[in-house]
Amino acid sequence: MKILNISHRHSLILSKFQNHIIKNVFKFRTRNSCPYHFLIHASRSRKNGSTMTVSCKLKTSKNDINRKSMDKSLQTKIVVPELDGAPSLSEAAEEGGSGAPVKQPPLSSKKNGFGLLKGFPRRVLAVLSNLPLAIAEMFVVAALMALGTIIDQGEVPEHYFQKYPEDNPVLGFFTWRWVLTLGFDRMYSSPVFLGTLALLGASLMACTYTTQIPVLKVAKRWSFLHSAEAIRRQEYSDTLPRASVQDLGILLMGAGYEVFLKGPSLYAFRGLAGRFAPIGVHLALLLVMAGGTLSATGSYKGSVTVPQGLNFVIGDVLGPSGFLSTPSESFNTQVHVNRFYMDYYDSGEVAQFHSDLSLFDLNGKEVMRKTISVNDPLRYGGITIYQTDWSLSALQITKDDEGPFNLAMAPLKINGDKKLYGTFLPVGDADSPDVKGISMLARDLQSIVLYDQEGKFAGVRRPNSKLPIDIDGFKIVVVDAIGSTGLDLKTDPGVPIVYAGFGALMLTTCISFLSHSQIWALQDGTTVVIGGKTNRAKGEFPEEINRLLDQVPEIVESTSSTQSNNLSG
Amino acid sequence: MIFSTLEHILTHISFSIVSIVITIHLITCLVDEIIKLYDSSEKGMIMTFFCITGLLVTRWIYSGHFPLSNLYESLIFLSWSLSLIHIVPYFKKNQNFLSAIIGPSAIFTQGFATSGLLTQIHESEILVPALQSEWLIMHVSMMILGYAALLCGSLLSVALLVIAVRKNRKFFFTSNHLLNLNGSFFFGEIEYMNERSNVLQNTSFFSPKNYYRSQFIQQLDYWSYRVISLGFIFLTIGILSGAVWANEAWGSYWSWDPKETWAFITWIVFAIYLHIRTNIKWKGINSAIVASIGFLIIWICYFGVNLLGIGLHSYGSFTLTSN
Repeated sequence: MKILNISHRHSLILSKFQNHIIKNVFKFRTRNSCPYHFLIHASRSRKNGSTMTVSCKLKTSKNDINRKSMDKSLQTKIVVPELDGAPSLSEAAEEGGSGAPVKQPPLSSKKNGFGLLKGFPRRVLAVLSNLPLAIAEMFVVAALMALGTIIDQGEVPEHYFQKYPEDNPVLGFFTWRWVLTLGFDRMYSSPVFLGTLALLGASLMACTYTTQIPVLKVAKRWSFLHSAEAIRRQEYSDTLPRASVQDLGILLMGAGYEVFLKGPSLYAFRGLAGRFAPIGVHLALLLVMAGGTLSATGSYKGSVTVPQGLNFVIGDVLGPSGFLSTPSESFNTQVHVNRFYMDYYDSGEVAQFHSDLSLFDLNGKEVMRKTISVNDPLRYGGITIYQTDWSLSALQITKDDEGPFNLAMAPLKINGDKKLYGTFLPVGDADSPDVKGISMLARDLQSIVLYDQEGKFAGVRRPNSKLPIDIDGFKIVVVDAIGSTGLDLKTDPGVPIVYAGFGALMLTTCISFLSHSQIWALQDGTTVVIGGKTNRAKGEFPEEINRLLDQVPEIVESTSSTQSNNLSG
Repeated sequence: MIFSTLEHILTHISFSIVSIVITIHLITCLVDEIIKLYDSSEKGMIMTFFCITGLLVTRWIYSGHFPLSNLYESLIFLSWSLSLIHIVPYFKKNQNFLSAIIGPSAIFTQGFATSGLLTQIHESEILVPALQSEWLIMHVSMMILGYAALLCGSLLSVALLVIAVRKNRKFFFTSNHLLNLNGSFFFGEIEYMNERSNVLQNTSFFSPKNYYRSQFIQQLDYWSYRVISLGFIFLTIGILSGAVWANEAWGSYWSWDPKETWAFITWIVFAIYLHIRTNIKWKGINSAIVASIGFLIIWICYFGVNLLGIGLHSYGSFTLTSN
């Protein structure tokens, strides 16, 4: 009894739902293809007829019901009522020439849920695969990201108190309380944002499972149409007098179609991959999301500034980013900075930074040596070392041929790439309260500007030039400027997965541009009836087919009779 | 020296040709069926294409790197991409409204690039270390091709919106009795749509003018869809190649840099557009609204972020100078 009840309810919903779809299909046709209004009326009456057959399970004997739908209504009597709605529904959408939407959420959300899942999970699936919900999620993600670029990220709370004060809220309501409560100061790791992304991922999965895969099954089931009426109902249709379906088949093959011929019927398709590719796009996106999650939870990051000639241990620099981070063997590797240097353009601007690095294992054996630069990192045992920054660590000078002394340099101004470093050589009694000395400033490793005790400009010297400069009676030689290299280190187990996702995404997005075109033809005496449809390139399709049909040879009277005899025999 | 003179000449030639093309378009709009003039406007666009190509090649030779390192160069590249979309034979059959969209777009970008606003950055600059990579050509050219195609597509959608809304208003004034037949007239979006389709059903059969209008709207809808799909492919490849490059240069494939984020927002908005189109009910007006939002967002992404000059993508930043 219970089962009966359920099936009854379902068929009710189905019929209502189908009416809905068909109404839409009909509306679409009338709105857009006005020149074929005769055709529309025909299809309308057919639609109403077929709705009747499904919802009331009565076979109204309309003369334009094709064999296929008759087969189907036979099927409905045999198969359990819970399942029968699905194929006929999808067919209705397909044959209605509705452009065969790749996704039609309400359709699918009801469809697969019946047989496979019951109760709560089914409902969740149905809700998640709802297209408006998915679109709303995408809008929210986009809006949150935009907000994240407007609100300064990663500042201290005081910054937000100042920027979004309570007594003068932005737009009348937006204060620092909003920012801090919702975690918008770190938008891209805030629960709100990540939650929406996760929801979007769930929608992606649900949509792929309940909508795209069933559509795939329908699309794969190629079939002949055996009645001229059914062929004429396609989006594009034409009639060729005195032609043969074989000639058409050869021409279609030449145009890249897969052609199937059976007796007088022809079926041809092209660009089937274009129908499958959106599934690939979704799967690739899921792969990227999975990889991104792994990156966020399982990686190590760290940065270090090392003066030339010194070394560090990789494990000391790296810090874990999430609970999945596990250290590896290569964390014990020691990195030695052999040399840090820059290339310059003729105009004096920096062209490139280079760090000559050597890697030593626990036994002190050199395992790798490479000169890295920006855009050319070092990779060893899952660890990547990037050249990202630089600074000046010390100035090597001789005073009156004594030394050389190393003077540590201090950053005076750090503003992006425009840096300024300074150091000071005390002259006379270093313990006196107003100690004076020689100041040296440098913007890069190229030239050092020297000032005397009074603070007056004394001259410019290049390191390595060996050219002495006399300041207040001292002979000073700038022997060398020692730079330190700024390195970023990371391990990221997610990268291979993300890259796989990237590759798949690029490929499937390109394939998605292809249009899945289907053509049916039927030899009807000496005339050939041709119908066809395509899911994307609706503008070019009729032109292309017209061009093809122009090439179909016309058969002269005498041969046409034998031709048709051959066909029937 | 000779290079900069050549560049100067080419800039001016391309700019004047585009202006002439636009004038011709206006004339053909007003006076129908002047095929000769129309033909010459076609040739004009091809000339423009070659001029801008020459301009880019000149810059490439004398700067020694692919000319895409600052905003001026990327603007020139944008107008090159626009004229390329026009040239591609695939779209040739529908040059009519595509060139009507592309012509003004090209003149605005070209005009803005060469105008006094940006004089400071005309000189080709040296390449900062982070930009010295083979990925530069791939990433930036794909992004700008994507922007160009998406701009064209969304402009077609904007045109659709303008025409559809104007038509509606006309109906509202001229055929009130028809509307009354269908019951009361609501200004809400959905009711509006239903009304419109009803009105079309009633009128299109006996009014050829409305029939052509609806055909035109359908054409606009279809071509904006195709051009946006194409742009979406370029944008996807551009963003992904940028991510791979970032993993080589900055140490992370995604760092939520403002430019990155806005490119992703653009991608999402056009993904929404493509999804909305899978639903027949929402085709036409609704998808056109999303595409128009996308049009604004492309400009924020392309210009707005640079105007602020924040983040890692600050190479293209500029300051507006009034002198």
